[in-house]
Formats: sequence, C-alpha cells, structure tokens
Amino acid sequence: MGKPLIIVGSVTYAIKGRNILARMGIRSYVERVPGGNCQTCLYVPEHTDEAEDILLRYGVRVTGRTERGGTL
Amino acid sequence: MIYLDNAATTYPKPEPVRRAVAAALQQYGANPGRAGHDMSMAAAEEIYRCRTAAAEFFRAPGPECVAFTLNCTHALNYVLKGLLKPGDHAVTSCLEHNAVARPLYALSKGGVEVTEARVFPGDNDATVDSFRRAIRPNTRLIVCTHASNVWGIRLPVERIAALGHEYRIPIAVDCAQSAGVLPVDMADSGIDYLCIAGHKGLYGPMGTGLLITAQGGGLATLVEGGTGTNSAEPEQPLSMPDRMESGTQNMPGIAGLRAGIEFVRSHGADRIFRHEIGLVQELYRRLAAMKSIRLYTEEPDPRYFAPVLSFNVGDLPSEEVGRKLNGYGIAVRAGLHCAPAAHRFCGTLRQGAVRICPSVFTRREEIGRLVQVLSAIG
Repeated sequence: MGKPLIIVGSVTYAIKGRNILARMGIRSYVERVPGGNCQTCLYVPEHTDEAEDILLRYGVRVTGRTERGGTL
Repeated sequence: MIYLDNAATTYPKPEPVRRAVAAALQQYGANPGRAGHDMSMAAAEEIYRCRTAAAEFFRAPGPECVAFTLNCTHALNYVLKGLLKPGDHAVTSCLEHNAVARPLYALSKGGVEVTEARVFPGDNDATVDSFRRAIRPNTRLIVCTHASNVWGIRLPVERIAALGHEYRIPIAVDCAQSAGVLPVDMADSGIDYLCIAGHKGLYGPMGTGLLITAQGGGLATLVEGGTGTNSAEPEQPLSMPDRMESGTQNMPGIAGLRAGIEFVRSHGADRIFRHEIGLVQELYRRLAAMKSIRLYTEEPDPRYFAPVLSFNVGDLPSEEVGRKLNGYGIAVRAGLHCAPAAHRFCGTLRQGAVRICPSVFTRREEIGRLVQVLSAIG
C-alpha cells in the first residue's frame, strides 16, 4: 500500500492544514502530488481519514485523495 | 534629512525589515510553492507566515483570505473592476484618492454609476447619513477611504459597513493611510474588502500591498496566469489567494512586509498612533500661531483624524514651499497628493498643499525644526 495523500486546493491550504493537524497531534507533510497537474497535498501517514474530516471541518479545501502509485 | 513624507511611503524602514529582505534574497531564492524542492517549499512557508501575520493583525477569517498585491491601488482595482458591472451603482466619498476615483471614473465610462457622499469632519452621524442617502436599489458597492491622505480626516468605516450590510451592500475600504496606525478589525467591523499598502504604516518595502477578503472567489479577475496550482485547467482558480496571485510573487518584499507587521505589532499600533498624532497636534498648534500659515481643518482630534496634516504658506504655491523645505533638508509632499477630490473639498485645488506625515521614528525636535524653517520661509 502506498503513501496516503490528501489533495488540497493550494500550497496555502496545505500549510494551513498541516498546522491544524499538528495542533491535533496528527503528523503530516506538505508535498507536491505525483503527476503533472501542479497540485499540492498533505502526506498523512496515520489517521488519514480522521485528518481529512478535520481539514474539511476547518475549511481547508480538500479536492481529493490519492496515494503514490494510484488514485484511491 | 528630516523625512516627513511618510504618507507616501515610510522611511526609514526598520532594521528587522531590511534584514528580512536581505535574508529572503539569500535563503528563499526559489519560486515559492511552485516546486516540491526544499527551497521552494521554504519560500512558500515564509509567504504563508506573512499571510498569517496579516490575517491575525487585521483579524481576517484566515490566512487564505490574504492576497498579496503590488500596492493598495492594485488591490482597489481588483475589487472595483472585479465587482462592478454596467448598470451597477457605487457609493464613494468626497475625499478619495485617485486609487479609487480613477478606476471609478473609468468604470463610469462603461455604464457604472457613481455617487459621492459628503463627509462631515467630526460629525460621524452626518457622514453616515450622507452615505445612507446616496444608496440606491442598484448600489452594488460602497468604497471609501479610511482616512484622507491629505487632511487626515477619518471616516467612520465601521458604521458605514454596518449601514451597507443593512442593505446587503458590501464595503471596500482604502486603508492606505490607516493600516498600522488606526485600528482595522475585519471581524468586528464587517468590512468585506480591505485594501492595504504594505509600505506605509506597516513599514514593509515598496511594491507590497494586500487585498484581504473572504469573498475573493466572487471577484472577476483582471489578471490571469500561472498560480502553481491545477495547471491543466484553463480557468483561473476560484479560491483565494490563488485567484488574485498570478505570476511570481515579490518574495523579498513579502518577507520584509512580515517583519514590518511584526515591528508594528511589537511597538503597538495604538502607541504609534498616539506618538504620531501627538506630533501632529503640536505642529498644528504651532502653525496656528503663525500668521502666514493657512490651515484647513480643526485641530486634529484623535477620534476623527489620522496623523496627517496639510497646510499652505500664504499664497505661495505649495510646490514652491516643498522645494524650499527640501533646500533645508526637510522632505515633504506638496501638490495635490493624487487626491484632487480631497483638495476640492477644502478649496485647495489650485494651490495644492504641503503635507506633513510623521512616522514612529519622527522626533519632536524635527517638528520643531520644521516650524523654525517655515517661520523663515513665511
């Protein structure tokens, strides 16, 4: 299984999301999405579903999920 | 040099601002957020820190509401031309800078109607009533200055925002002269679009400005281009801040702006205001005692004025006075200050005026020297 990635609207939202998750004790990393469409994502190694819920609750624009090697 | 032209841009910039610009050139040399490599991401983080600092300083809903612009004029153009369409009506004030007046004039050629509401210095009830009477069924926007860049006259923008919201009309505020000096609280005031100069009261470098809004997605764009996001899509992103930030950002400027905001925060905007308005009040009293000096407003009351004061020396052309002061090593701004409406308001459209604006660095002795030189000139 690949690394779970949460795709967000922009690098601004990615950094905002990472900071929110850090406050909740969830580790995440700002990365570029594999592929050629210039998207930014958060690599969230653990609690990915919970992290996505938190991001949505805090108004972070989540535009999708993927993992390295394929779309979920 | 005694620099009293801080309403145009503040000088000197604080040491932390100069250091931040230099550090950015060295440490954040990559295009912010455009690539995944470490330096690009570090630059993006620095820009995000500035967004956060600005959002907290002006109590915006979040850092994503902060878009960087070239200056306040740029931000105002984004709002005015992004919102107003033929058949719409806009209400503005009689004290506007050309940053508002000229875009509105251009829009009026295309069918946008504009009404100027009269401002009553020292009488906020009358000013708000004037705005109320200007509203029409097709009013789409209220846009006004927070403080006149010529006379320092403050507008009760919080009350005007509340008035606009009664009629479901958004308000854009030109905070060029007020940001960093007067309280600007987006959460409390309900202001919809804050347009801000980064290089004046926030002590950032020139070439920095801010548009702060939670409603950027509703603005048509004036500039489209690369944002580093969703590049395969032909349409400009809808969401802030990308919608308003095409092309490479002014990374060193933005790093300097963050340092400027932190400088103002650490000194306290209220303390800076008290210092500057105190100097302006003292200058006013001393000028009022000089026969040759013409003043055009009441003594600046902190409730109704920002720390800007303009005057004339008898019938001397204002530019001539500016030139003479320059000969004594005193830097001021003379002429119309890009605000003919404000000069029309006080009857100085022909002569212009000499404008004085202190900064946090201005000392009492410097004001004393100005008065001394004016005595010699007058």
